[in-house]
Amino acid sequence: MTGARLVRLYAVGRRVPFAVLGIAACAIGLRLALLGHWDDYGALQLPLLFEAAAAVSVVATVASPFGEQERAAGRWLPLLRPAVTVALTAAAIGLLSAAGTGAHLAGGVLDVLRNIAGITGIGLLCAGALGGGLAWTGPLGYLVAAVYALYTLWHPPALTTPWLWPARPPHDLGGALCAGLVFTCGVAVLTVRGARDRPGDPAEA
Amino acid sequence: MTAATTTPASTRQPSAVAGAGLTMLRLLRLELRHNAMAWALPVAIGLFWLITYRKDMAMPPMWSLRTAGLQSGAVLDFAIPVTGAAAWMGSREVHRRVADQVTTTARARWARLLVPWAATTIWAMMAYLGCVAVLYGVTAHQAGWGGPLWWPAGVAAASLPAFSALGFVIGAFLPSRFTPPLAAIAAFFIIALSTELIHGGQSPWQVSPIVTGPWDLSPQAGVATFYPFLPDLSIAQVMLLAGFTLALLGVLALPAGSGSRTARAVAAGVTGAGLLAAGTAAGLTGTGTMDAHGMIKIPALHDAAADRPLQFTPVCSRTAIPVCLNPAYASYLPVTANALAPMLSQLAGLPGAPAKLVQVSVSFQQDAREGMIVRTDGLRRGGPQPAVYLVLPDQLAGPAMTSEQAAGQLVAAYDPRLVARVTGDGPAASPAQNAVAAALLLAVGQGKLTTDQPPTTQGRIDPGQSPGVAPGTAEYAAAERFAALPEAERRAWLLQHLTALRAGKITLAQLP
Repeated sequence: MTGARLVRLYAVGRRVPFAVLGIAACAIGLRLALLGHWDDYGALQLPLLFEAAAAVSVVATVASPFGEQERAAGRWLPLLRPAVTVALTAAAIGLLSAAGTGAHLAGGVLDVLRNIAGITGIGLLCAGALGGGLAWTGPLGYLVAAVYALYTLWHPPALTTPWLWPARPPHDLGGALCAGLVFTCGVAVLTVRGARDRPGDPAEA
Repeated sequence: MTAATTTPASTRQPSAVAGAGLTMLRLLRLELRHNAMAWALPVAIGLFWLITYRKDMAMPPMWSLRTAGLQSGAVLDFAIPVTGAAAWMGSREVHRRVADQVTTTARARWARLLVPWAATTIWAMMAYLGCVAVLYGVTAHQAGWGGPLWWPAGVAAASLPAFSALGFVIGAFLPSRFTPPLAAIAAFFIIALSTELIHGGQSPWQVSPIVTGPWDLSPQAGVATFYPFLPDLSIAQVMLLAGFTLALLGVLALPAGSGSRTARAVAAGVTGAGLLAAGTAAGLTGTGTMDAHGMIKIPALHDAAADRPLQFTPVCSRTAIPVCLNPAYASYLPVTANALAPMLSQLAGLPGAPAKLVQVSVSFQQDAREGMIVRTDGLRRGGPQPAVYLVLPDQLAGPAMTSEQAAGQLVAAYDPRLVARVTGDGPAASPAQNAVAAALLLAVGQGKLTTDQPPTTQGRIDPGQSPGVAPGTAEYAAAERFAALPEAERRAWLLQHLTALRAGKITLAQLP
């Protein structure tokens, strides 16, 4: 009972319900976008925009509203942080995959899985380095680079590094490994350190 | 006893205005030190390097190409970091839970909010100007001619306060930890999507700051090279961005409690004026048309002086027949001259050979059915020292080519025409003329004996060209025989018999 209450308080403190709403809005937006007729650019780049938006919604929950006090007192934090983040990431993957069901979602479920996991991982690493409030800078910077990498598929020389995995085919092993590695590192940093909350850092709304 | 002066000590009290100015400057300094944009700068600069700088450096060192790449690239590179950072700064009072504390300060809310917006914009502008300085510095070092085009760089610069204001207003009115990333994605989405709405040559959506010219025409090397750059579209874009910035900043002062009644009335006026300017800019862009030089001409903003061609001294090769290019294309000269040199050596000094090859501009036309049409004048005959007018493949609206591909296309296009010009080859030519023309092409290693059209209008074949010489015919055998002659012997024969050949008085049997 205490554990459930702790999880609920943690989720509320991190604005997890808002994140779920944001992810759901991304899924609805993706579904609506897939109803339209897009050229090749749009068909590949639009899903990536919604995937990135869902990923930053996940990342936005890692900022702590309590800072040092919680760190000192919360012994369950190293478990709660990765558990909630992984659960939200899975929810994002599930919802966006469901949104693409029955529509022409470029790359399919594998693309959604790889992109959301990888971009979330970048956000978690940024949270560890810059703090939860600015954790979005990495994922969104990566989004622009990835959109450009997709653009270079038509305008060579193409950017084919697996580190820009959204521009790789869905079954590409290198891209999947890179995304998986980044996500794993991000979760590890989050588990061990959490978001970088400087001493005296005021609360995040 | 000394007389003591009783002049009072000069205690200079700063005036109220100067004091307020100093306070604002001090506030600005504090905001600059604690601004989120400083943390987002590595992202913006990294994106600029990856997307804009690398792409621009892969282009030929021509100001027109690189400046177009700078404008569209920099707007996209900075959109997300600037909007996101500004949204974070706009919602900072709520993040930090100090909204109630700062509400009690003497300064009006809108004046207080303008300072972090200005600090965010200053950080973004400093980073952008640094990026432009590097890009333009390298280009100035590489480019053979011309100078930087400032209007496109100004459009990208004007987009920074606009993105900053957009993010700041969203952050101020919807403060949440989710606001900065979602506002940044929304800005990127709007910018990227704006081009999807462009249909036809007179679309007002071309006012989007990532558009650098007619949307159906990819950036062309020849644009703003033979004729001055037309700033019409850039002026409209700056007007749009300035209008949006003013409107958004005015919105900050509209809510009750943001300032005095007068300040709010002024803010409403500023917002209205900003929206009017933005709407006017879009409307003006809708009246624009593509001119013959591939740039957008907006009648209300157009300066007729910009229609006069640029004056320049061509750069010429040291080939047997000089190849002269616009100095902006100086980097193309070695490849172009090397590609054409074998044929030019064959033809130099022969009657009918051109005195030189001179690069000319192309003209563009937008057609509702056929899309973009690029016109060239092709070969023109001059006076006593005739010149052949040359159009490089890069001047045409086509896919990007390597220098080898461009050289190959140039040779395939111009060698047959140069030969036809000397031998009088054409539809009414005699078999001997056809054979000699074919032999000259064979002699320079062009196995393909059918003549090709120079890159003219949409690749249509000019019916005035030679039908070519088919293998297995008597003409082909004569061509092979003539091509096998030593160059000196072939040249001597041509000098002696070219006039008769052109007059159709030489038969195949008379060919050596």
